Amino acid sequence: MLPSGGRPLTVLDDVSLAIAPGESVAVLGPSGSGKSTLLALMAGLDRPTSGEILYDGRAIQNLSEDALALWRRGSVGFVFQSFQLLQHLTARENVLLPLELRGDSSAGAAADELLDQVALRDRGHHYPSQLSGGEQQRIAVARAFAARPALLLADEPTGNLDSRTGSTVLEMLARLQRRSGTSLVLVTHDPATARLAERRVHLLDGRLVRDERDEMGQPQPLLDERDEAADRLAHAERGRA
Amino acid sequence: MIGSPPHPNRGWASRFLARQLARELRGVARRLLAFVLCLAVGVAAVVIVATISRSLDRGIRLEARNLLAADLAIAGSRPPTADILSAIDGWTGSRRASLREMVTIVGAPRDGMAPRTLLVELKVVDGPYPFYGNLDLDPRGPLSPLLGDDGVAVAPDLLARLGLGLGDTLLIGGEPFTIRGRVLLEPDRIGGAFTLGPRVFLSAAGLDRTPLVDLGSRVEHRVLIELPAATTLDQLHARADQLKAIAPRSDGWRVETYDQAQPALRRGLDRLQHYLGLIALLSLLVGGVGVGQAIRVWIAGRSDSIAILKCLGVRPREVFVLYLGQAAMLGLAGSVAGCALGFGIASVLPLFLRGIVPAEMLDAWQPMALARGMALGLGTTLVFAVPPLTQVLRVAPARVLRQNAEPLPGSRAVTIACAILLIAGTAALASAQAGDPLLAAQFSAGLAATVVALAGAAWLLTRGVRRVPRDGGWVWLRHGLASLGRPGAAALSAIVAIGLGLLVVFSTQQVQSQLRARMEAEIPDDAPSAFFADIQPDQWEPMQKLLAERHASDLESVPVVVARVREVDGKPVAELVDQVGGGGGRRWALTREQRLTYMEKLPEGNRIVAGELWIDPARNELSVDQEFANDLGVHLGSIVDFDVQGVPMTFVVTSLRAVDWESFGLNFFIVVEPGALEGAPQVRIATAKLPRGDEQRIQDQVVAAFPNVTVVMVRDVLDRIVKLLRRLSWGISFLGAFTLVAGLVILAATVGVESSRRGREVALLKTLGMRRAGVAALFATEYALLGLTAGVIGALGGGLVAWIAITRAMELEWKNDLVSFAVAIAVAVVLSVLAGVTASVGALRRRPAEVLRSE
Repeated sequence: MLPSGGRPLTVLDDVSLAIAPGESVAVLGPSGSGKSTLLALMAGLDRPTSGEILYDGRAIQNLSEDALALWRRGSVGFVFQSFQLLQHLTARENVLLPLELRGDSSAGAAADELLDQVALRDRGHHYPSQLSGGEQQRIAVARAFAARPALLLADEPTGNLDSRTGSTVLEMLARLQRRSGTSLVLVTHDPATARLAERRVHLLDGRLVRDERDEMGQPQPLLDERDEAADRLAHAERGRA
Repeated sequence: MIGSPPHPNRGWASRFLARQLARELRGVARRLLAFVLCLAVGVAAVVIVATISRSLDRGIRLEARNLLAADLAIAGSRPPTADILSAIDGWTGSRRASLREMVTIVGAPRDGMAPRTLLVELKVVDGPYPFYGNLDLDPRGPLSPLLGDDGVAVAPDLLARLGLGLGDTLLIGGEPFTIRGRVLLEPDRIGGAFTLGPRVFLSAAGLDRTPLVDLGSRVEHRVLIELPAATTLDQLHARADQLKAIAPRSDGWRVETYDQAQPALRRGLDRLQHYLGLIALLSLLVGGVGVGQAIRVWIAGRSDSIAILKCLGVRPREVFVLYLGQAAMLGLAGSVAGCALGFGIASVLPLFLRGIVPAEMLDAWQPMALARGMALGLGTTLVFAVPPLTQVLRVAPARVLRQNAEPLPGSRAVTIACAILLIAGTAALASAQAGDPLLAAQFSAGLAATVVALAGAAWLLTRGVRRVPRDGGWVWLRHGLASLGRPGAAALSAIVAIGLGLLVVFSTQQVQSQLRARMEAEIPDDAPSAFFADIQPDQWEPMQKLLAERHASDLESVPVVVARVREVDGKPVAELVDQVGGGGGRRWALTREQRLTYMEKLPEGNRIVAGELWIDPARNELSVDQEFANDLGVHLGSIVDFDVQGVPMTFVVTSLRAVDWESFGLNFFIVVEPGALEGAPQVRIATAKLPRGDEQRIQDQVVAAFPNVTVVMVRDVLDRIVKLLRRLSWGISFLGAFTLVAGLVILAATVGVESSRRGREVALLKTLGMRRAGVAALFATEYALLGLTAGVIGALGGGLVAWIAITRAMELEWKNDLVSFAVAIAVAVVLSVLAGVTASVGALRRRPAEVLRSE
């Protein structure tokens, strides 16, 4: 429930969702369906007015802001639609930040390796304002995986990118997720993007209306086999959003 | 703890914070230039005051021997007794010199006319002078041979005023002397602002040629003593005690040692330091308001970054420490800049203080003053930065997903801690600056009340503006009003700051101008314009005739007999002085040289408030001014024993009077019943109204005819006081102006920090078809309204402070000065518009597309 114009507004209602370690889940739904709110609750950024959010069997909704920050530091990575890089830090420093926060003694080497993985090693000294949108999001992906989180939360990671750049970013995200065994929650309104995940849950008006898994338990390939129809659908949905 | 990250090394958090702090500081200084400027202005004011007072204090300490021109001195209004002199002569290896000082009239002879005359301070030297310090003469050389029996050395000012030069003749007491030299510097005379006239040096033999040392002439006698070089401070004080035993204070003697020299000057300096120090502190506190405002706007602009940091796992308290570190760095930068500015201004200050303070005593390099500036600057940063910095605790990490995420709920404990920090911090800063907890408490309370009043008025006005109908009138006026009343506008703190600055400047200016106006114009029409002293009884009749022939009117004269109080109600003065202790009015009343007069009827302006005048035919009676009676410790029926120049006389107090001292008439603390003192040695004093424009000529003729008579022109004396007052008020206004500047910096800074909002407004207005001049007019209207608000409140507040000072503290009549009031408001408006529009120039210059594209 969120305050809205002085009156409480119910955003999510009776949603129950369990995510297994290493699982990738896409959360789909039209604009205003409660996708981002669900993500914020899972990240401990918002607190539910009722119900529980359990991580490793322990409730997080009543933790203090300090405890939540510590938990995020050790367990959660983020990728946002609007990148959310710190503008006064260089690309490399943005990636370094979570490593330094963990007290990683080889933070510099780890950051350089991550920059290598997102193919931006040579742009590490640039500030976010000097990078393109796609490059900024790749830096954000590298930062998200820097602290090797158990849970990665991605909110419309391609929402501000053109389709080709978006696909590249998603490829990198998927590759890193598979390699690290991180659980991924991907919020999107784009069915094509959602095919990255092995499980897709659909929200409508704050309720969970459908939960589907790939039969083989494997996510669908993104780029190679994607057909034009899926592309058009994605554009149409983006247009509605 | 759920998922707590590993902590592989000790101190990792502080290392991380230090690294992150260094990164965060990039570009911050440029964005928070206002922060640095606000603080620098306040710190500079503190440093200037501390530098002046410390360097004067140090100068007085280092130059102490020079300022006394001796190791030890004894002074009184009588010639030193044989006991005193023989005691001094008994000290092996010591030397002494006798000085006599008096105020008198000198003249420059003119062919066929009475000499042109001038009031001077005469100093007669008998013996080696000075023992310490330099008496700079032109031509160079020792004083005694230069003076001889018929020569004088004079201040350059005298030569200029009388149109004389070296070798010319100067008449003293009617006797001619040759001007042999000019006195450029005199060690034991500080400044020229507190003197009655220029200095004239004369030898003892020269003085003997004049009739000046007649009975009743007011002469200050002083013996300077040089002790052997090896004398310790303890030995010095032992010598001083020896002198005090022979020449007690109750007999009117003052014994001074070089380490306690110039006590009045030191007390005055202390008082000035505290007063100016608090005005400087006000600038610093206003600067602190600016610091708080800059931080508030800064944090608001950094909310997204703060949310990201929290999202990445930086704990709120770590974010707070990170930002506190940045504020501390900026505080350091502002304090250093302020110290540099203060040092720079203090270095050139001697140029402006010429004539008040000897330039060689002002040394701008005062490390302790700079340390004080640094400490107060950092303290102010802490006190004013922490409360707005706690905003970082409330930034919702959910902003990374929703820009309009509600801030996290505030903590009551944090709010209370901030309030305590603000109140206790301000009081601590005031206490550090005032050096007196009571004064600091009064200052803090007064400041709090003023700020609350200013903020309340500003709040009411900004709310009031919202209710002004905006459906007609000029578009820029409508938009200006709307901007001022917009929620979240930074108008409040800018109004408080500018208002406070104007309050200080305007109240100082009002007190000064009202006092000056009173002195210049409000001397009662029937007040005398000239005062004559040291008239011998047989001179009064011919002098009366002379004055009447020159059309002088309202001639009044009374006899004066000099005496000292010996006992009050049977208790010796020495005992009473011991009971009084310390100093103050009572000690002064008991030990001063009493000037008594006798008369049958009381003059105008005297009213009996207790008892009756001359009712006891059996005893010699006194009528005493009621306030002086309090100081003296007498009441109706008290028996007062006087020493009338060696003759003991006993009186009884039979009436108390209220005296109107502002009538400029011949008023006395103690009036004696006629019949008691007629036989005592006496002089007369007189007052008269001289025809306007003819004062100097009549003074010249009176002095020519009666060389021993001293003439003081009332207007001349008032002019000197006015001049001194003007200099003092200049100093206070100068410091007050720092507060005003700090207020304007806050305004400009707030506008500058808000430039992105401004830029967007300008872009939209231009896109909608408004020209740049139109947008500038719109902004100017907003800042003019802001300046008007601050001006009206500040001027009203300043007027109130001045009114309290004039009517309550000085008990004078208040005169409304609407012109100054209007000028003060106009100045606030003009300065606000200038500061605001200048800070908006960047926003005005940007092209609309540039701004809107970046949205």
